[in-house]
Amino acid sequence: MLEDIFIFMEKNILLSIIFVPVLGAFLLPLLQNISKGMRNAAALLMVLVSLAGSCMLAPHVLAGNKITIFREFPLGFNFVLTADMLAIFMAIVSSSVSAVIVLYSFGYISHYKNQNEYYFLVVLFLGSMMGIIFSANLIFIYLFWEMTAIASWRLIGFFREPRDVLRADKAFLVTVFGALVMLIGFIMVYQSTGSFDLAAIKEALKTTPISNIAVILILFGILSKSATLPFHTWLPDAGVAPSPVTALLHAAVLVKIGVYVFARLFIVTFTLAPIWHVVIPWIAASSALVSAGAALVETDMKRIIAYSTISQIAFIFLGFAVGTEIGIAGALLYILMHGIAKGGLFLCAGIVEQNTRTKDITQLGGLIATMPVTAISFLFCAFSVMGIPPFGGFFSKYMVISGAVNSGQVLLMVTFLAGAVLTILYLFRLFNMIFLGSPKFAYAPEGSRVMVFSVALLAAISLAAGIYIYYPSSFVQVAVKQMMGVGS
Amino acid sequence: MNNIMLLPILIPIAGAIAVFLQNRGQRPISTHTHIIHGNRALSPILKEAIVLLAVLANLFIAVKLFGKNINYSVPWAGFGLEFVLRNYHFSSFIMSAVAIFGLLVTLYSTAFLRDKGYARLFYTYLLISIALANGAVLADNLILLLFFWEGLLLTLFGMIAIGNPNAYKTATKAFIIVGVSDLCMMSGMAIAGKLAGTLTISGISLSISGLGGLAFIFLVIGAIAKAGSMPFHSWIPDAAIDAPLPFMAILPAALEKLLGIYFLARISLDMFKTSPHSWASTFLMTVGAITIIFAVMMALIQKDYKKLLSYHAISQVGYMILGIGTFVPVGIIGGLFHMINHAMYKSCLFLTGGAVEKQAGTTDLEKLGGLAYKMPVTFVCFIIAAASISGVPPFNGFFSKELVYDGALERGWIFYAAAVLGSFLTAASFLKLGHAVYFGKNRDSALFSTGPNTKIGRCPYFSEAPIAMLIPMVIIALACILFGVWNYLPLKYLIQPILGEHLLEGRNFYGFPTNPMLVIVTILVLIAAVINHLYGVKRTGSALRAAEHIHYAPVLSKIYEKAETRYYDPYEIGRKLVKLFSRLMWGIDKAIDWIYNDMAPKSAYFITDRIRRLHDGNYKTYMVWSLAGAGIILIFFIRCHHYSF
Repeated sequence: MLEDIFIFMEKNILLSIIFVPVLGAFLLPLLQNISKGMRNAAALLMVLVSLAGSCMLAPHVLAGNKITIFREFPLGFNFVLTADMLAIFMAIVSSSVSAVIVLYSFGYISHYKNQNEYYFLVVLFLGSMMGIIFSANLIFIYLFWEMTAIASWRLIGFFREPRDVLRADKAFLVTVFGALVMLIGFIMVYQSTGSFDLAAIKEALKTTPISNIAVILILFGILSKSATLPFHTWLPDAGVAPSPVTALLHAAVLVKIGVYVFARLFIVTFTLAPIWHVVIPWIAASSALVSAGAALVETDMKRIIAYSTISQIAFIFLGFAVGTEIGIAGALLYILMHGIAKGGLFLCAGIVEQNTRTKDITQLGGLIATMPVTAISFLFCAFSVMGIPPFGGFFSKYMVISGAVNSGQVLLMVTFLAGAVLTILYLFRLFNMIFLGSPKFAYAPEGSRVMVFSVALLAAISLAAGIYIYYPSSFVQVAVKQMMGVGS
Repeated sequence: MNNIMLLPILIPIAGAIAVFLQNRGQRPISTHTHIIHGNRALSPILKEAIVLLAVLANLFIAVKLFGKNINYSVPWAGFGLEFVLRNYHFSSFIMSAVAIFGLLVTLYSTAFLRDKGYARLFYTYLLISIALANGAVLADNLILLLFFWEGLLLTLFGMIAIGNPNAYKTATKAFIIVGVSDLCMMSGMAIAGKLAGTLTISGISLSISGLGGLAFIFLVIGAIAKAGSMPFHSWIPDAAIDAPLPFMAILPAALEKLLGIYFLARISLDMFKTSPHSWASTFLMTVGAITIIFAVMMALIQKDYKKLLSYHAISQVGYMILGIGTFVPVGIIGGLFHMINHAMYKSCLFLTGGAVEKQAGTTDLEKLGGLAYKMPVTFVCFIIAAASISGVPPFNGFFSKELVYDGALERGWIFYAAAVLGSFLTAASFLKLGHAVYFGKNRDSALFSTGPNTKIGRCPYFSEAPIAMLIPMVIIALACILFGVWNYLPLKYLIQPILGEHLLEGRNFYGFPTNPMLVIVTILVLIAAVINHLYGVKRTGSALRAAEHIHYAPVLSKIYEKAETRYYDPYEIGRKLVKLFSRLMWGIDKAIDWIYNDMAPKSAYFITDRIRRLHDGNYKTYMVWSLAGAGIILIFFIRCHHYSF
């Protein structure tokens, strides 16, 4: 009896993680009629519901259980939600960074028009993201996937200048094109296994690797969503969006959809032919080098950080794709550390942009004198992205590199080493040109209190995640065991 | 109670936090120091008291741990990344040395940095550096070692950057050079961990063939880059100009050498099976020999006190690497002994440089001169340290160099020749430095009346440095004599136990060098250096220009000219390559973007335009289309029918 109640509660929590933000988003514009503060608070609250729900499910899942909701629909479109370690990990990371970003938005977006639209789309986006994470049916993954595409399309074009709209369209077209190709891949999987349900597919594909054509088709979607070569160019262009949005899309959440689905399908569900453990890391390697090189030439700070994201995503792909235990663990930690630190970088860039009205780093300089907290937060986040101890990024970088070595691909490791060197170079170039040197602005004040608090919080978490690595790492260890585990 | 192992890390960190939280409203004390308010006068003293307390506590713990065998282990990040600390003879020796230098340099800094606005940050970084260094030498897990080791990048960056408003460029350079080498080390650790199946240092024993060789090279790069060997050296001379002087005396002179050579010895002695006739030996000795020669060549022509010393800080690493790279016991002993000796005389030399800077307001050799009479204690300390570094008996540098020579000669005369040539040039450059600074006419008489840093009202005339700065110099200078004359003390109790009995095979390396030939050559070389110096002085009439006959020698002058413009700086070369590479990548990126921005829309327009033109409104055209379409559908159904039924 009591157990039934527990299970009932857990299922409701799982549903509310997704549907409170997805449905609640539609209420936000109405709430503005009561008060703006109410609407803002409600938006934050909905994101916090997802975060709290994920945290509440964590102990149960850590104990080795899975929570599943199953509703049968015709044509194999079954509505299946599954909460396992991987999903819970991803949900906690996404929703916690999103919560900080929404908090930051209170300060940032208050200067602009169309705030209703903004909060509506951000919360809808987060809810759809949660949908992707917990869905265990290919069709529903696809549906939520396209919902995020629509939300991000409007968010990128938020400022409505002709150029912004054009770039929003570009991002939308590239990712939707990839998603449609991926859908064909899903249908191929359906044809060979007779189901869209991941559990059933896993059962059917237990012995044989999945067909290579299906892998290629699905990779189209994954690589375009995670902005990896050759589908990456929409991401730097999307920097025209408001900074919290770029933080949300580029750093913390959207670009992680691709890598998450990669892990969900190609590690947990399907068996890949061995060749992919070599091909995919090399695609990622070329992506890492091209984007890092471009980041060293670029002068628009948001574009630089966006290129940096492309480069770092490649490290996550590396970890997942080489298929060694430590590599997968490193990739999971990378998602965490990179989400926090890169989110922080974008938010710092937002403060700088808002208070100096420029994004061109050749026009900036010496800002550390007037915005010290932002500068130090930026530096901390940059250290984490570079992988300097004691910041969290150190561990994730070591683990993915080690994963490449353990799979026996030393040349690959050396290539990524070059990528890591370039990371140090472009981040220092960025920091030095924005914050050091001779001041070029007579008056460039620190951002609003809530914005500065947000970036300082992300910087502090980046540091704490490294010093207290024991906690995230032990979570990840259990997750990797479950992901690699046979028969579970 | 193995928790005591955490204290060497936690005590300095706690001190750093305490100092950092001190009231930051410290302005550089103006010329009106005698009327400053009581509160503001108290604060620097409180700050200094905290720092001194922290370094004293650290020294106390280090001494307490000395020579003990303790292990400490707690779970950490999993996947072989364990928080394992191991205290044994070698690590506690390095830790004690770090603690002693930390104490002395801190004491020195209390006087040197008293009126500097960045003192608070400097102490914070210094204490964190000590904590990280302690952690690195105690770590018995490769990644834990790297955790502390690479963390030093942060304090390195911070300590250089606070020097002056433009010092961040040098700080970035240092960060990038050392950071890249640390990444190499990380890769080496990953490979070593894979081959050995463990990341526990004391459990690794690999051969240096195949992948093991790659791991060896990667790890060596990390070790020698930390020590400041070529080609990872070029930030050090820049830092000598930009960074606060105590930084030079503690990090590049002492702490980084201790760490780098410590790890190099761990790699060579413990982690890899090395033999004297392996390629690894030749590789290390070549790096060492090149570093000795080229760095000392640059030192010879410097015209700045600190910069000249900084090139010697590079050159001397060459001796240590050369010594350890011989992989024969006498060479390794010599390299390790040279490590500790170098830390002593080089930090002493930097401290004398700081005393001159503080009292005279400049380290430009053009402006300095005749200081021996004004600053006698500094002068004597300088003489002792300079004699040590030049390898004059009976000071400590002589004995360690002789051991290195012995090892080098055993492996090949060419390495010995390089080492001896290096000694000749070292002696020559210190004769030039000492002569130019402490003797000779003072060229800038205005210096004596109003040096920029001399405190008007309190110290109106040019005089000896404050007592807090003299004490560390004197202590180190005395230790240079102690380690020379009674060299059996350090060798027997500190250095030889590192190798262990199985390598020593009952031999002892203390006492006077056993090979008279080597001693004679050394003496002759020193005499030659003196003659060379006298010749140079006579030729140009100036101590500062005593090396000009070498500087402007036919071929050398061209090379020097290019070196002066950083033509050979590996960092600058690397920057150019990276620039080229990133331009190329940028081009690729733009080419891909062109597909999305131009090609895709244009071809879409093109195709739709063609299709639009097909709709010409002609009844006949549409009829043909309809019929063709109907035909295709018909064929499709027939084929389907054929297959499915």
